[in-house]
Amino acid sequence: MVLKVFFPTCCTSAESGLLVGRWVPEQSSAVVLAVVHFPFIPIQVKELLARVQQAGRVGLAVLGTWCHCRLQEPEEGLGRFLEGLGAIFTHEPWLQLCRERGGSVWSCKALGWPMSPGAPSPAPVMLIFYDQRHVLLSQLHTPATLPDPQAGDAPPSVGGLAAVFDTVARSELLFRSDRFHEGPVQLSHWQSEGIEASILVELAKQASGPTCLMLSFLLSLLSAVGACRLFRLWPLPFICSKLSTCEQARHRLGHLTFLFSPRKAESPVQLMRKVNVFFSLLLDVALGLALLAWLRAENCIGQLADALVPVADCVAEELQHLLQWLMGAPAGLKMNRALDQVLGRFFLYHIHLWISYIHLMSPFVEGILWHVGLSACLGLTVALSLLSDIIALLTFHIYCFYVYGARLYCLKIHGLSSLWRLFRGKKWNVLRQRVDSCSYDLDQLFIGTLLFTILVFLLPTIALYYLVFTLLRLLVVAVQGSLHLLIDLINSLPLYSVGLRLCRPYRLAAGVKFRVLDHEAGKPLRLLMQINPLSYSRVVCTYRLPSCGCRPRLSWSALCRKLFFGELIYPWRQKAGKQD
Amino acid sequence: MCDQPVRNTNEVRWQKVLYKRQPFPDNYVDQRFLEELRKNIYARKYQYWAVVFESSVVIQQLCSVCVFVVIWWYMDEGLLAPLWLFGTGLASSLIGYILFDFIDGGKGRKKSGRTRWADLKSALVFITFTYGFSPVLKTLTESVSTDTIYAMSVFMLLGHLIFFDYGANAAIVSSTLSLNMAIFASVCLASRLPRSLHAFIMVTFAIQIFALWPMLQKKLKACTPRSYVGVTLLFAFSALGGLLSISGVGAVLFALLLVSVSFLCPFYLIRLQLFKENIHGPWDEAEIKEDLSRFLS
Amino acid sequence: MEDERVFSDICGGRLALQRRHYSPSCREFCLSCPRLSLRSLTAVTCSVWLAAYALFTLFENSVILSAAIFITLLGLLGYLHFVKIDQETLLIIDSLGIQLTSSYASGKESTTFIEMGKVKDIIINEAIYMQKVIYYLCILLKDPLEPHGISQVVPVFQNAKPRLDCLIEVYRSCQEILAHRKATSTSP
Repeated sequence: MVLKVFFPTCCTSAESGLLVGRWVPEQSSAVVLAVVHFPFIPIQVKELLARVQQAGRVGLAVLGTWCHCRLQEPEEGLGRFLEGLGAIFTHEPWLQLCRERGGSVWSCKALGWPMSPGAPSPAPVMLIFYDQRHVLLSQLHTPATLPDPQAGDAPPSVGGLAAVFDTVARSELLFRSDRFHEGPVQLSHWQSEGIEASILVELAKQASGPTCLMLSFLLSLLSAVGACRLFRLWPLPFICSKLSTCEQARHRLGHLTFLFSPRKAESPVQLMRKVNVFFSLLLDVALGLALLAWLRAENCIGQLADALVPVADCVAEELQHLLQWLMGAPAGLKMNRALDQVLGRFFLYHIHLWISYIHLMSPFVEGILWHVGLSACLGLTVALSLLSDIIALLTFHIYCFYVYGARLYCLKIHGLSSLWRLFRGKKWNVLRQRVDSCSYDLDQLFIGTLLFTILVFLLPTIALYYLVFTLLRLLVVAVQGSLHLLIDLINSLPLYSVGLRLCRPYRLAAGVKFRVLDHEAGKPLRLLMQINPLSYSRVVCTYRLPSCGCRPRLSWSALCRKLFFGELIYPWRQKAGKQD
Repeated sequence: MCDQPVRNTNEVRWQKVLYKRQPFPDNYVDQRFLEELRKNIYARKYQYWAVVFESSVVIQQLCSVCVFVVIWWYMDEGLLAPLWLFGTGLASSLIGYILFDFIDGGKGRKKSGRTRWADLKSALVFITFTYGFSPVLKTLTESVSTDTIYAMSVFMLLGHLIFFDYGANAAIVSSTLSLNMAIFASVCLASRLPRSLHAFIMVTFAIQIFALWPMLQKKLKACTPRSYVGVTLLFAFSALGGLLSISGVGAVLFALLLVSVSFLCPFYLIRLQLFKENIHGPWDEAEIKEDLSRFLS
Repeated sequence: MEDERVFSDICGGRLALQRRHYSPSCREFCLSCPRLSLRSLTAVTCSVWLAAYALFTLFENSVILSAAIFITLLGLLGYLHFVKIDQETLLIIDSLGIQLTSSYASGKESTTFIEMGKVKDIIINEAIYMQKVIYYLCILLKDPLEPHGISQVVPVFQNAKPRLDCLIEVYRSCQEILAHRKATSTSP
């Protein structure tokens, strides 16, 4: 098997010394973590390794020697000295890594490899360079089919390249010391640039605990008020479940509770989720405040309030025109005149009622809108939900028309379908769930056929009314649906993850990719290991927050079926029990 | 190579089975291959006058449709007073009702277990619903063009004639569908009449001629065949007379149709019977001869 | 060691196969499709613009023309960035894994690396594509729960679709390395 040496790129220019790292026998690979420089005392090196080993629970060892020959410096003595070190730190195999002639030529020898003594020639060695910082900070996303590698106390049972990531992540203690650190052992590895603004960070850390506690207490108080008996009385839960504002507020409350819960996030996924929730909240509130500021600055609320009543009047007038058109001979269709007149007058009266209701409301509209505008400081989503509710309330007459039309049409369709069975001398057998033949009495047949004839000739009239009002209703539902889509987008977009993917692609790793550097005969093959970042679609898929879920999940075919049979469609989710 | 075993085992009897390996070539046809073939085992010999008698059911139904259309035409033209038609229809219904019980001496009524109260109730239902719906019927097809209504009625009446139960045992026969189509046609035609009273009386008449009259016919045919022939002749001539008063050409054509149905078609049937070649054999589907319904219940 | 040979894909188009043998345990195969031809690009652009101009003469609305220009530009960018694949590379490294790279015309690269521990075998398979039967190279992945099962089939050179002679070339080389792996993993 080929011997693989994973070597950090930051150590390529290090002075000669000892290679410290981990030997993974199953993969026959050596993961080099750092280079120990001269001079050192062997005992201290061993102590350091033991300390790191205890902290990270990973078997570290001195793997071999590192020899960096500068230009025109034949260091024969050094080579011999390094060979001698093998006697102090025993390890099988003992690596001798060498970089010569200005760094263009690399050579690597593995003493005591392969393990089996009968092997004919020294096995080939492969040098794989990796960026220590990227590997340390990246979070490996294994494909969804595999179970997540368990973090914490479990021994490193991960296989393959995940073992390399695991090793680097576990020996984080080794990299804790920065460039200006003066210790007994001089190491060369990736170093952070030092922690800046540490006082502020410390203060934030200290303050976050009590803040969280206080906020979570306030939130629990709020939810306790919400859960009290007064709000459980009959009409309130029903209305709340229908208003998207209430749903959105509840959703946001859940988010806040999750965010300020005093428990620490256990896994990186949960931590990421918390940060995502935080940023989503922040964006929401920022957008809401921007909207509020804009509304105030332009005095839009007054204009809106002034425009609202005329707009509602205009809509009502248009509807009246539509009804008058329907009461004539619309599109040359053969409508039943008597039924047409009855239906048209009924709907016209309804519009009349609606207009008087709007005019009754008009003095209070500005005040209502003002308070609605204030709610934008709770977040854009709340304001949008309120807008959606206002649209629903303002188009209540369309909803009523739709319900009447749908009920009539539904009655008609079901009557026609059962009378058609009677017409053919069949009936629906409820016990067997099928159509059976049946012998009817003469009077049953007569009345059934009479009704069937009447229903058939009245069907176009009812169907046209239903069609027109359904189209109006669908328009309103589409507007509300697009508003809800926008709300869901703001609610569920993992903003932090996407930003992380944009700015630090290596943080979210889907895997690795290799690039062949160069190769000379007789020298080890050199590869560069790079982080393969997660694709944006997978980032969004993995980290998207659960949406509010007040929208119905209807497939298109089911929707068309419902529309055809005249069943009511709602923009909110039906209760499961009701459908059964 | 192949002939050898055939010659050696010539004595082996050929069997008409596929599951056994037999020493014959694949395309071998034995003498006994078609020996189980039978021809015309269920064919019947018809008597000419018996067939003519049976065809009278078709004549009756054709005449019913003709009479209905003629009456509607008279009503539409305003030549027939609706109350007069109503009175005549009521009287003939009463006579038919008495005859219905009188012919078999009340045996059929006892067998079906239907009381007079139920009959009265049905009659009331007919009258009430028709009367109640007649204003609706009047305005029902106002906006639909007359040609559409005529086409629909012709289509429905044809359907009525096709699906009517003439006594044949076929899958297409459905007396329910036939009656429903006739009622549909009558409602369509009635909605064209000038007033709602006309519509009411037309629909009532349709029930009498399409629903009640065939029931009486059936009983007449079963009990007194001679009087049935007379009634049929009378009915056919009255239908012809009615049609003659509207259009002479129509009457001639209708008469030709009646003659061909009652006399030519039976003749042709008996002639064609000679060419019948119906083969039967072991390949026929299995038929369960015994009545198994007693096991099922 | 590097050599280049010319093959053809299933439709008869020209394909160039570059083989690089870095070491006995590391080989790379690179299939390059012909670049985007200027003629087809010009044809498509001209047809779109002519259609837009015809619409413009019909409706006399200059928005149509600017929209056509935007659509062609965006379409070209999208085509180069998401659709047109110039090069597909298979890098096989003994005891490490197999890496599949496809480079788009815009320079975007999408890479998949499969660890050797997951690879069960590399085979040539037949598939029905449109109205013909084609051959394709694919990598069989092991099922982690069941040692003899196959969890997934990863097709290689999905865009170029080379013919069988080219596939056999790649297949032989890959099998040499896989055989080497099997020999070393069973010996100790």
